[in-house]
Amino acid sequence: MNLGARRMTAASSEEAAFEALFTSEYARVVRIANRVLADTHEAEDVAQEVFIDFHRLHSATADYAPAWLHRAAAHTALNRLRGSRRRQKREVAHVLREGDRTLDPQHQAEVEEDRRLVRAALARLAPKPAAVLVLRASGLSYAEVAQALGVGIGQVGTLLRRAEAALRKEVTRGTSN
Amino acid sequence: MAHLTDGTLRRIVDDPDVAPGDRAHLEECADCKARFRSIDDDAHSIATLLAVPEAQVDVPSAFSRVVSAPAAQPRFGFRWPVAAPRSRPFVFAFAAVIAAVGLLATGIAVNFRGNWTPSTVTPVPVTVADVQALSQLADYGSVTWTRQPSLQVVTNPADASAAAGGLQPLAVSKLPSGVSTTVTYGAMTQAQAVFTFSSDKASAAAAAHGKTLPALPKGIDGAQLTVTVGPAVAEIFGNLKQPSGSDVSQASLPQLVVAESSAPTATSTQVTVKQIEDYLLSVPGISKELKAAIRAIGDPSTTLLIPIPVQYATSTTITVQGVRGVALGDNTGVGSAVIWEKNHVVYVVAGSIKQSDAINIANNLK
Repeated sequence: MNLGARRMTAASSEEAAFEALFTSEYARVVRIANRVLADTHEAEDVAQEVFIDFHRLHSATADYAPAWLHRAAAHTALNRLRGSRRRQKREVAHVLREGDRTLDPQHQAEVEEDRRLVRAALARLAPKPAAVLVLRASGLSYAEVAQALGVGIGQVGTLLRRAEAALRKEVTRGTSN
Repeated sequence: MAHLTDGTLRRIVDDPDVAPGDRAHLEECADCKARFRSIDDDAHSIATLLAVPEAQVDVPSAFSRVVSAPAAQPRFGFRWPVAAPRSRPFVFAFAAVIAAVGLLATGIAVNFRGNWTPSTVTPVPVTVADVQALSQLADYGSVTWTRQPSLQVVTNPADASAAAGGLQPLAVSKLPSGVSTTVTYGAMTQAQAVFTFSSDKASAAAAAHGKTLPALPKGIDGAQLTVTVGPAVAEIFGNLKQPSGSDVSQASLPQLVVAESSAPTATSTQVTVKQIEDYLLSVPGISKELKAAIRAIGDPSTTLLIPIPVQYATSTTITVQGVRGVALGDNTGVGSAVIWEKNHVVYVVAGSIKQSDAINIANNLK
């Protein structure tokens, strides 16, 4: 096989590897972004941006691929959340229309208020604690959270505990204001 | 037994991998139980607050949207996994760039005397494009190992030293908090590789890239570059658990690596000198910054270039153990490294620790 042909084979196996990575991770990447934004459409938008960025610069066969995608999903979504308070309100209203029709009106209003407060509080947290909360809440294991954030697995419990205390404080501050 | 930390109590809430001893302590300790209740309450109320309706996705149509996006096409014919996220311990980034820049460093170094025995280190900025451009050089000849490196993992310093031809691992006097005291030793025997330049291979490689690369200097066909590395020993702190099953994300990374290696050396035959430097720096894709940094080095034949992936790391020149060294990373604890050379031995302290801790460890190695 000459060099050119070998390169073409390498390119097509890279494409196959990217498709396999996309198939196995896309839903999870959307779930992470959705946890932050509470909007499926915008979460899909974030997920696609993350995969496009990844594909441009990285090999899909890299060991770090899933960890990179999870981290990028959390940070990209958190950046969007911080970017626009107005959009955030609109999104929460949108989610309520889609997801909470079965709730009675008073409970619905409470849920809506909680979601608004918690997302405003999440936007005020430092990037790392915010990412820890979002990744764990999206169902990543402790080991996966450690990989995504580049920390030792033993640190995840501590980071998570501090992040929960910090978020609780921010939510309380939001309520009292 | 000491009381459990908040972090351990938090893990008991929902991590199935918590050590049974920690659970047993919780059962018997009223103080930990009280703290656990409030941590458990917080964890559950935060989980409720963060709850959202599950997203339903259509993976195949999302995939076709992504691959049809114009930006999804790679800008180059191939990719290089150097662009790891900044947070990853630097060992990975090093491994990826050192091979490519080693080629450049040795190529530059044969410049003056036909042999290269570095005695000091200096950082040079390297971009992803540089690495891609330099990695093409591997197509310009063939590599043969005259001495294959052999790697061994052992549990005590004496075995490591025996495997690495008598090189003694240095003792770390005080570990930063949070770094596991579990230590594993790695040893590598001396290795030697010969790179033989070939004009035929070079033209074939240029044709395959579909672009005109600068012609090789005249008379370089058949020139040999012999590079010797090691022996080396490394102390690796952290639990090096093997991934369970095929899920590589379950593998844990070392928290701290302290490594030392005999300084690499290179010799060459029939290479015309000044031409090589000009040639290497004329390979398309080499950044202005890298060119400038290399030209600024006084005597390349005694300097070991430390490639710094500029998008992911920052470097400063420091004094360590009384000699000039390079420090990478910052004080966030995400990742840092210190590299220096003393008496023809290259030392590296790297890990997911603060830069100030890395410098402290480096200065207190005995």
